[in-house]
Amino acid sequence: MENPLSEARPHSQTIIEERGKRIKLAAEVGLARSSSGRLWSRALRRRLYRKPPQREYIVKNPTPPLKKEVPLVAEVVAGVAEEKEEIEDKVRALQRLVPGGEEMEVDRLFEETADYIEALREQVGVMRALACILDGMESRDGDKL
Amino acid sequence: MDRDLFSQMDTDLNSISYLSLNYDHFDSALSSIVSSPSAAPLPPGPNDSLVLRELIGRLGTICNNKSASAGAGDHSANTSCYSTPLSSPPKSSLQPLPNMNPNPNPMPFAPDPGFADRDARMPCFGGGPHMAMSGQLSRVSSSQSLMDAGMTGGVQLEGELPVRENGGGGGGGGANNGRKRKAGVKGKGKEASLASSGTVSSKISEEDQSAKRCRPDCKAGEKKGGTEEKNGNCSENNSGDRENKKESDSDNANAKPVEPPKDYIHVRARRGQATDSHSLAERVRREKISERMKLLQDLVPGCNKVTGKAVMLDEIINYVQSLQRQVEFLSMKLATVNTSSDVNMDNLLQKDMPQACSGSMQQPLYRSAFSYPNQPQVAPLNSLLTTNSIPNLGMQPSSTLPFDGFGNANPQIGGFWEDDLQSVVQMGFGQNQEAALSSQSFQGSGPSSSDMKIEL
Repeated sequence: MENPLSEARPHSQTIIEERGKRIKLAAEVGLARSSSGRLWSRALRRRLYRKPPQREYIVKNPTPPLKKEVPLVAEVVAGVAEEKEEIEDKVRALQRLVPGGEEMEVDRLFEETADYIEALREQVGVMRALACILDGMESRDGDKL
Repeated sequence: MDRDLFSQMDTDLNSISYLSLNYDHFDSALSSIVSSPSAAPLPPGPNDSLVLRELIGRLGTICNNKSASAGAGDHSANTSCYSTPLSSPPKSSLQPLPNMNPNPNPMPFAPDPGFADRDARMPCFGGGPHMAMSGQLSRVSSSQSLMDAGMTGGVQLEGELPVRENGGGGGGGGANNGRKRKAGVKGKGKEASLASSGTVSSKISEEDQSAKRCRPDCKAGEKKGGTEEKNGNCSENNSGDRENKKESDSDNANAKPVEPPKDYIHVRARRGQATDSHSLAERVRREKISERMKLLQDLVPGCNKVTGKAVMLDEIINYVQSLQRQVEFLSMKLATVNTSSDVNMDNLLQKDMPQACSGSMQQPLYRSAFSYPNQPQVAPLNSLLTTNSIPNLGMQPSSTLPFDGFGNANPQIGGFWEDDLQSVVQMGFGQNQEAALSSQSFQGSGPSSSDMKIEL
C-alpha cells in the first residue's frame, strides 16, 4: 500500500513543504528529547506537546515569571548606561531564541544557550549525515532502476 | 558561515568513518558510505539495511562513546559530546545504555577535530587559557564551574589533562602565585593539581554542588572584619597566606574532605572594595556571567577575537539563529529526498511493538511509519530507529530488541540509541506522514494512535 497522498500529488510543492514542516517538527522533538536535564529542552517539550492553544489547559506553572532580571543583568554586565540598553535588548533577543529563555535568569540563560547550541549542532550534524546517506541511496537506487 | 557548516558536516562524517575503522565488521560498508557521500557505488540492495544500521550504529556509538568517556555523570541523553562544565549537580544517567563498547575510554578520535574540539573545550574550561589570572581575587564562580567541570567531566578530564593542564597549570602557577589561596583560585589550583593527581577528579566529583564556596581566606576576615564569610580553614589558609602559595596548598584544598556545604557563597573581598553583601553578590554574579560568556565564546566560532559583551551577544544570537535555520533547511531538504522503497520493510514491520500504545508522545508518529510499508526507503530506517528509540523513552526496558528484519537481530542497536538518534527518527518520520496524521499527532493525541495499526 502506498501513501495515497503521494500517489495523488507525488511531487507537488505543498507536499514537500508539508513534509518539511513535519520533519522539522520531528527534528525539534528529537532535539528536545536529546537533552533531558535542561531547561530549554523542557520548555521545548512543553511547547511541542502542548495542546492547541485554543484549548489550553491550566498546566502547572513550571517556573515563576522572570523577576525583572534583565535590567539587573545589564547593569552587571555592562557598566555604562547606553550599553545597558543595548545589552538588555540583546539578552532579550537571546531569551526569545532559546526555548524557555524568558523564564531564565541571565546566567542560567547563558548556560542553557551553550547547551542549546551544542544540541543544535548535533542535530544539524545528524540531519546532514542522514541527508547524505539518503542522497547516496537515492541516486544509487536510481541507477539501479 | 557555510564553510563552518560543511566543515562540521565533514567532521561528523569523518568521525563516523574513523569510528568505523575501529570495528571489525561493517568497516567496508560503512566507510564506503561515509567516505563518499556523493553516492558512491555501494553494495547492492540487500545490504542497504545493513549499511544503514551500521551507520546509525556508528552515529550512536560516537555519541555513546563520547558520553561514556565524558562521564556518565551527565545526562545520558547527551547532547553528546558536550557535557557542560557549568552544569548543575551531576545528573544521573537516565538508563544505563548497553554499550557495544564497554570500555569507557575515549575513542581514539584523535583525527576528529570536531568532537575533539568540543571535548577539549569542555571540562577544563577554567583550567585553560581562560584562566585570566589577572589578579582577581574572588573567583567563586570559577571555582564552582571548575568543580562542576570536575564533576561532570570527571572521567574525561583525565583524558584531557595532559593537553590542558600544562597550559592551565603553567598559567595558573605563574600568574597565580599571589592568589592561589583565593577562593576561585582554589578551583584553578585544583585544575593544576589535577595533572598531578588523577584521583582529584574523583574527589571533585564527590564535592557537592552546594559546596559553592571558594576557599575562604582569612585575609578577608582580617582586613574586613565585617564580612560574614568565614571559614573553617583559616588555619590552613594562614599557612598559605604568603604571596607564593605552593601547589601543596591547592593539593591540600583538594585533599581535604568536602566541607559541609554551606548555604552561602564565600567570597573573597578585594582590596579596597566594598564588602557589603550587595556588592559582593553583584560581583559574584558578574563573574559568573562573564564565565558563562567565555564559555559561549568558545562555543561560537569566530568569537574569540571579538571583545565586548554586546558584540559577543550579537554573535551568539546570530549563531543560534543560523543553527535553527540550518535545521529548517535540512528538514526541507530531507523532505525532498525521494528514495525507492525496496528495503525489506516486511521484516521490519514484523517487529512487534507492544508498548507502542503506552501513551508516549511520539506514538502516533511511530505508528504511522508502520502504516506505510511501501514508503520510501527512509521508512525502514525510521522503523529501525523508532522501535529502538521507544525503549529509550523510558517506558519499557530496552530488552525488546528489534529487527529480525535485518537478518540477525542486533542487540547492540538498542544500546546505540542515544536520544540524539531519535531526532533521526523524527526527521525521517515526517516523510511518512500523510495528511491524515497531520501535525495533530505531534500533540500527542492518544486516541489517534489506535487508528494506526501495522498494515501490510
